[in-house]
Amino acid sequence: MDLFQLREQFSNDGIMMCFNGPFSHSIIEEMGTAIKNHLANENIARVAVQDVFAAYIEMTQNARNYLTRRDIPTGDTGSATIMIAKKDDIYVVTSGNVVLREDIAELTSRVDGINALDLDSLKKEIRRQLRSELPPGSLGAGIGLMEMAKRSGSGLEYSIREIDDRFSFFTLRVQIQQA
Amino acid sequence: MRTLNIAQSQSTPQISYDRQEHVLRITGESYPENSFEFYAPVTAWVKEHLAVENRLRLDINVSYMNSSSTKCMLDLLDLLEDAHQKGGAIDIVWRYDRDNPRSLDLAEEFKEEVTFPFSIVSEEF
Repeated sequence: MDLFQLREQFSNDGIMMCFNGPFSHSIIEEMGTAIKNHLANENIARVAVQDVFAAYIEMTQNARNYLTRRDIPTGDTGSATIMIAKKDDIYVVTSGNVVLREDIAELTSRVDGINALDLDSLKKEIRRQLRSELPPGSLGAGIGLMEMAKRSGSGLEYSIREIDDRFSFFTLRVQIQQA
Repeated sequence: MRTLNIAQSQSTPQISYDRQEHVLRITGESYPENSFEFYAPVTAWVKEHLAVENRLRLDINVSYMNSSSTKCMLDLLDLLEDAHQKGGAIDIVWRYDRDNPRSLDLAEEFKEEVTFPFSIVSEEF
């Protein structure tokens, strides 16, 4: 593997930080802190720093909760890829992880449904979900995707690649304006 | 009445009760690995406290809260609202960094959910 070439590619694509591997809560914490410190030195509005950080937290915790809930074995399948990049004046937070093929339809219709909402409907839907009872054992409140969409204002992008009969790879991408 | 004192970590706020002032302070950032587990003892403590002593002030200075923490905070506000409806002396002081408008947005959303006094204070950190 040519590390120099990898480095060149990172630079060309504006990738500030990228993690790939099995990830834990403490990795989420450490990377989050690194991202915040990095952005604090970039002389951008504090609100943009908060929004990039929030998108990163919701995305990684969503991925981790999903892998846990679906009992996807750690190692290669249980790992995730997380990336923060800057393109022109836009920050892009991307995460990718393995999902069971049977979950794809529900997941994509959920993201499509969120993308169809305007900001007011999104806020109403978040409030409605915050007020609803969660099934016992829930790891999250079920509003992470909506929270990201709210902070982005430009919708959630996703792509799916088939891996084998059982798994696909799901990539989620959210853009945050520098403000 | 037992007291409550949870130390701060990178992803969880410090939560402590000041017996003299009757104030529960929540300070830091909140994105625990499992928010429901993290906040369960806090909710339990508040319930217990309100059953014995019908007064409480929440003094909050949280710069970031993830979505599941928001849900836990709302559950906490519901408990306080109940106590307020029963005549308890309840109020919230929410402090935010004036450079962090997201914390102000969050405070305003919470304020809409309750009828007891809720003051939002802009500070320079």
